[in-house]
Amino acid sequence: VGTPLSHDTLLDLSRWQWALTAAFHITFPAVTVGTSVFLVVCYAMYMRTDDDVWLRMFRFWRRIFAVGFTLGVVSGMVLTFEFGLNWGPFARDVGPIVGVAILMEVVMAFFLEAGFLGLLIYGEGRIGKRMMMFSACMVSLGTMLSVTWILVANSWMQTPAGYKLVDGQFQPVNWLHVIFNPSFGIRFIHMLVGALVAAGWFICGISAWYFVKRRHLPIARRGLSVTLGVLSVLVPLQIYIGDSVAGGYVAKYKLPQLEAMGGNWNSTNTGENMIVIPNQGAAKNDWQVTIPWLGSALGAKDWSGHTATPGLKLTPKSLRPMMLPTFYGFRLMWWPTLLMIAVVLGGIALRLRGRLYSARWFHKLLVGLVPIGFVSIWAGWVLAETGRQPWLVNGKLLTAAAVSPLKPWSVLTSLAVFVVLYLALLGMYVWYVVRAVREGPGDGPIVEPAAPSLRHERRSGLASAS
Amino acid sequence: MQLSDGWMIFVILAFTIYIVLDGYDLGIGVLTLLDRDDRRRRDMLELVAWTWDGNESWLALIALALWAGVPLVAGIALPALYIVLIPMLWSLIARGVSLELIDEQDGWHPLWGKVFGIGSLAAGFCQGAAFGGLVAGLDVHGGTFAGGPFAFLHHGYAVLTGLTAVALYVLAGAAWVFLKSGGETQLRAARVGRIAVVVLTAGTAASWLLAPVAGPVSLDPGAAARLPIWIVGAVVLAAGLVFALRSFSSDPRGRRSDRAPVFSTLAVYAGGLLLAGGLLYPRLVAPDITVHEAASPHATLLFLTIGAGVFIPIILTYQAYAYWVFRGKVDVKQEATTA
Ligand code: HDD
Ligand code: HEM
Ligand code: HEM
Repeated sequence: VGTPLSHDTLLDLSRWQWALTAAFHITFPAVTVGTSVFLVVCYAMYMRTDDDVWLRMFRFWRRIFAVGFTLGVVSGMVLTFEFGLNWGPFARDVGPIVGVAILMEVVMAFFLEAGFLGLLIYGEGRIGKRMMMFSACMVSLGTMLSVTWILVANSWMQTPAGYKLVDGQFQPVNWLHVIFNPSFGIRFIHMLVGALVAAGWFICGISAWYFVKRRHLPIARRGLSVTLGVLSVLVPLQIYIGDSVAGGYVAKYKLPQLEAMGGNWNSTNTGENMIVIPNQGAAKNDWQVTIPWLGSALGAKDWSGHTATPGLKLTPKSLRPMMLPTFYGFRLMWWPTLLMIAVVLGGIALRLRGRLYSARWFHKLLVGLVPIGFVSIWAGWVLAETGRQPWLVNGKLLTAAAVSPLKPWSVLTSLAVFVVLYLALLGMYVWYVVRAVREGPGDGPIVEPAAPSLRHERRSGLASAS
Repeated sequence: MQLSDGWMIFVILAFTIYIVLDGYDLGIGVLTLLDRDDRRRRDMLELVAWTWDGNESWLALIALALWAGVPLVAGIALPALYIVLIPMLWSLIARGVSLELIDEQDGWHPLWGKVFGIGSLAAGFCQGAAFGGLVAGLDVHGGTFAGGPFAFLHHGYAVLTGLTAVALYVLAGAAWVFLKSGGETQLRAARVGRIAVVVLTAGTAASWLLAPVAGPVSLDPGAAARLPIWIVGAVVLAAGLVFALRSFSSDPRGRRSDRAPVFSTLAVYAGGLLLAGGLLYPRLVAPDITVHEAASPHATLLFLTIGAGVFIPIILTYQAYAYWVFRGKVDVKQEATTA
């Protein structure tokens, strides 16, 4: 490791690599968790009504689901190994707790997803309708269990509980306290609803595109109606849950993060900061835009406007998280939520006036909102993870002490390749989805996949039979 | 026996299942590189498409079983193998994604087809190299890895084990294609399979003989007691190789069993694992980190044992069900007409 300088470089590179690879990975669960539920709904409706439109929707969304799922799998594998590769001392110290949670994720969730995915995607013509329905349910259940256990692991790092420290290693004392650590419940719900919301806008926007193009209207109508209906419930709910996350656990266990989120250094500001340019070294803002009164009202629920927001100087300098990513991480999650609320209300108004399927400006707006949920999810994770710094296990294990003693050039090289590879994959994913959407769910009669060759053309059954 | 020994048995079991399952599926990837015919390559792809994700889950399980069960080892070995494991991950990404994209063109997409084959090859090579690096031993001081980034190579020993692993995976892939296909596809698999056996025999012999001189691993005084394990291992391995060579028979009307290569390959796996295990046990990272000092505390191991004990049987059940659903051969009839 040598000089402190090269240790800092190593630490920075390792952090960037983790941040990049984790953010890339989370993009795909953000689509697949919710889409898997949507697939279950489509197939269940098909079984109940025997209406081909539902089957067509099922096959269409399944194709988009499958590619996202593949990207989720391969990028998840990277994270699994990176725990030991880049954070070796962390692996050694928290293995008995965090390793166990993620191992439970493997045996309960990953195998379940993988075991039934093959049937879901390639099984038609080989398994009956009931088995297909069951497979779709199992894949969806797998993604939910995955969210559960990964949030056990990560929440324990935010609010460690139920352990004892033996020679620097965290060892479990009470598994119930480990699993149901103070932040797990509320964060699990926040993440799950977040993932459903993100997929909701994704599906909604793509359905709206068909309205704009006046194609596949029966499918577009159902897609739009179902997702907007669900979003009208989930988005308001998420505001309530998010507020409990901030006011409940963050205020209690992650005060430095709360201070950084507000964008204040001194604890005198009763307004809400909209834009700040923080100067971490000098502990002041070089520039800021503030709306008076609002901070007191939103943060402390003091509507008289007299309660100041706590500032980051309350935390000793060496233990302060970076204000920049924390502040904007919160804003980029929360501002899109406001837009979501507005759109959802607009949707309800249009529906009541019977214009939901004819208001083209609204459909165009929805197309633009396809990525909005991802923005909130990325920003939320940046907030939660950078806000915990400099700790890896909150208050107990410093990130700086947990990095593997690699050569900085090793990490620089791998990081550079990941940047190129992941940009290419993201581009490819977008291209694939755009093309699948352009091709569309097909108009001709539904084609039953012919004799069970193991792998029927995935696109068959979508293309119109001529 | 302590709980930690039981957990190690579980790790070895998961490891075995992984190299058997992903072995055939990576090996089939390599086989597609050796073929030019679109129909045959698609047939082979069909064998992989529905199953690779489940096979790869076993890799995640190995990584986590080591991390949760023997965290010290994960903390030392993974950074030591950084230079080879990171490219393994890239290779797995490349092959997983390209597999989805080959469909984008009728027949065989030239670019994604190549990426799929090369990714499979590179992933197998990196796994073998990582294994060789571990077997030959790592420099450890004060609970962390203390060698350089390329120390795991051990003067090229890891390259030898990497190539051996590729030969093993190609054998496994050929055996699986032989079982699950017909016509020309099957005949070609037999041909490649026979070559793989020869390469594998040379590679295994060299890897095993060179292990003690390659790195800090040294035969401890207790080694003599494990002589019987080695003898059994060597016999099983040799028998497997011989039967594999013979069972790739090309005469469909003769007394041929399509299953025989798969069973012979399983014997090769078993023999090879006995030899490697006999060399290492009870050390985990040669020369001197043992299972007992690296293991997690009792409360962790108990939780792991219960968790794995409940879920692994369920997993095996539904994986077996999927194999049953996708039973039979790919597209033999059409194959026969074009062959
Ligand atoms: C929202 C939840 C969520 C979060 C926070 C994470 N993941 Fe994930 N992961 C999933 C939700 C998910 C999923 C929904 O279960 C995936 C995603 C894409 C997919 O298609 O399955 C998946 C796949 C997936 C796989 C492949 C599974 C398979 O073979 O089927 C691995 C190895 C990981 N993840 C590992 C991780 C690690 C080490 C994470 C922590 C840093 C992580 N994931 C964060
Ligand atoms: C069990 C789950 C997780 C663990 C164990 C974990 C652990 C870590 C580690 C080791 C770091 C590096 C420390 C650092 O950057 O300073 C980190 C930072 C980070 N993580 Fe996570 N993380 C988890 C989940 C996630 C997920 C799912 C995301 C989703 C995107 C994420 C996003 C980030 C980001 C953006 C950073 C950068 C922080 C920074 O640069 O300061 N993390 N986390
Ligand atoms: C649709 C909208 C939203 C999405 C998709 C979303 C998503 C996320 C995600 C993925 C995280 C990281 C996981 C975690 O720490 O639990 C997060 C964290 C957080 N969210 Fe949201 N969120 C949304 C809305 C909100 C709202 C409206 C609020 C509050 C008013 C809020 C408050 C928070 C806070 C305080 C954290 C940090 C938790 C921590 O430090 O661990 N979120 N969000």
